Amino acid sequence: MIDVARPPDREPARLTRISQNVWEIAATGGMRVPGRVYADEASVDRLDSDPSLDQVRNVAHLPGIEGYSLAMPDMHFGYGFPIGGVGAFRVEDGVVSPGGVGYDINCGVRLLATDLDAADVTGKTGRLVDRLFSDVPSGVGSHGAIERLTGPALARLMVRGAAWAVERGFGEQVDLEHTEAGGALPGADPDAVSERAYARGLDQVGTLGSGNHFLEIQVVEEVFDQEAATAYGLREGQVTVMIHCGSRGFGYQVCDDYLAVMGAASARYGIELPDRQLACAPVDSPEGRRYLGAMACAANYAWANRQMIMHLTGESIQRALGLSPRSLGLRLIYDVAHNIAKIETHASGGRRLELCVHRKGATRAFGPGHPEVPSAYRAVGQPVLIPGDMGTASYVCRGTEEAMRQTFGSTCHGAGRALSRTQALKRAKGRAIDRELAAAGVVVRAQGRKTLMEEMPEAYKDIHDVVGIMDRAGVSPRVARLRPLGVVKG
Amino acid sequence: MSTSEPRRFDSESRTQAYRELDHPADLWLEVRGVDLPALVENALFALYDSMVSLERVEERREVTLRASGASAAEALRTLLAEALFLFATEGFVGVAAQVQRLDPSTEPDSGDVRFQARMRGERLDTTRHETRAEVKAVTYHLLDVTREASGAFKASVLLDV
Repeated sequence: MIDVARPPDREPARLTRISQNVWEIAATGGMRVPGRVYADEASVDRLDSDPSLDQVRNVAHLPGIEGYSLAMPDMHFGYGFPIGGVGAFRVEDGVVSPGGVGYDINCGVRLLATDLDAADVTGKTGRLVDRLFSDVPSGVGSHGAIERLTGPALARLMVRGAAWAVERGFGEQVDLEHTEAGGALPGADPDAVSERAYARGLDQVGTLGSGNHFLEIQVVEEVFDQEAATAYGLREGQVTVMIHCGSRGFGYQVCDDYLAVMGAASARYGIELPDRQLACAPVDSPEGRRYLGAMACAANYAWANRQMIMHLTGESIQRALGLSPRSLGLRLIYDVAHNIAKIETHASGGRRLELCVHRKGATRAFGPGHPEVPSAYRAVGQPVLIPGDMGTASYVCRGTEEAMRQTFGSTCHGAGRALSRTQALKRAKGRAIDRELAAAGVVVRAQGRKTLMEEMPEAYKDIHDVVGIMDRAGVSPRVARLRPLGVVKG
Repeated sequence: MSTSEPRRFDSESRTQAYRELDHPADLWLEVRGVDLPALVENALFALYDSMVSLERVEERREVTLRASGASAAEALRTLLAEALFLFATEGFVGVAAQVQRLDPSTEPDSGDVRFQARMRGERLDTTRHETRAEVKAVTYHLLDVTREASGAFKASVLLDV
């Protein structure tokens, strides 16, 4: 594990069990609130020596934090904030931190339903995946999905988000209703975005990128909650498509630019940081507002990106299988972010509070009746999309009232890595991961051989365990399990 | 001050230039160099080598990058971020580098460390070049430059991938 020096006056974080799947780190020293970690007994043992527990504790030091510094069961060591962390800060006296969002602003997941059954693609998955691999640009520095944008066009996209793509014929109005925040955060400020971010954003709309991002053809293997599945339009045996990607180089640059800004701002506002990676500024300060304005631009870029990829995917599947748009029946179930900071209203400690909720590797999970849940799903709660590794499964869950009470309407975001990339490469040496997956019924195409090895299924924690913990905690019960049939990796 | 030509990154000497340390999700590199310019050259090697297989990259274009910082670590990070920006926007893959220190000091933390890198390489062409990891950013996380007892330098750099 990583050797991260712990300040000598500090004891290792001690976890006290609160309930079956919730553990607490008491507020000691400069912590303003306790930490809460979602885990089962097996994973809590592994956490004992994990430096990410210190990161949970560090986040609890920041001004204006409300309730708890939270960590989901897929937590691992991140930049300042842990990956899988949730921190809600009062707009009134709290902070916003780029390290609480991450480099890939609005990395997220989009799930598409089709009218196809698994039998309709049997024997054709290879052809389908090859076609998608050539039609949807992926891999290191992928670009050129659509004509290169001009600066003013990119500025409009930053404000309009997914609607930018829909207005150009790449999707329908209903797609926006089925996207978190309608596919565009308010308050996007293109003037807060650097020339460098503009330069990196001009040519990457509609591209998947690399690393753990993917485009996957799946089948609904099992439905656990019939009522919610019906509301979402999911049934056993149905073919679905999942897209996992974010704001590409544009978002990375926005984060990089503002880490420098916030480093200076923390000192200016006299904010004491237990770790300088937690650099931040008051939400209600010029620096805080500018970061949120630029971050909204990147979040909206990501929604435009996933909307474009959905369009390219639909055309590609039609060509590969010789289908009309009507017979394919591609439609958006939901699109949800898992790296973002948002201004939301939550009940906490008997008050209604305006909070800046940071979700870094955590998925929004709003419960039934919430006005931000699409009307078609409002009775059952927001769809929560949890991608697993490429050989196992992904889950659709649903948001709950319990999530609103326990986690500011948040849950886990994926399996989380079990092996480092170097360990995975060692484990994969001499093996043909694509052939192993093919034998297990999953066709995979990747730009880089190394990516395939680093992303092999055993590099990840068991997605069933991670999802099960949040299900049992009552935060995000399972609705359906999706099994991969074909995967495009960058 | 050296005025030699950019030195081609040599995969044979990779293990002397840098190694990857264990990290749960990102690319954590430990870079070595006999002096600070050599350290920066090897860090550039590590960055490009992480993104692209360099064997078939040719020296068709020359670029010069400059970066400064309060410490060698900060100047190194900024220089790598410049190189990453050039890769992201123009596809430039460096395969040879020659680094000079422009400020008069030889100390790693003189308060104003300035590096200049002359690099040769070419535009990424995925029909000829095999790509590796997509580097999102050169982070400040675990960023460090230290002088070892031998007088040589060692850097810790974390690339977000």
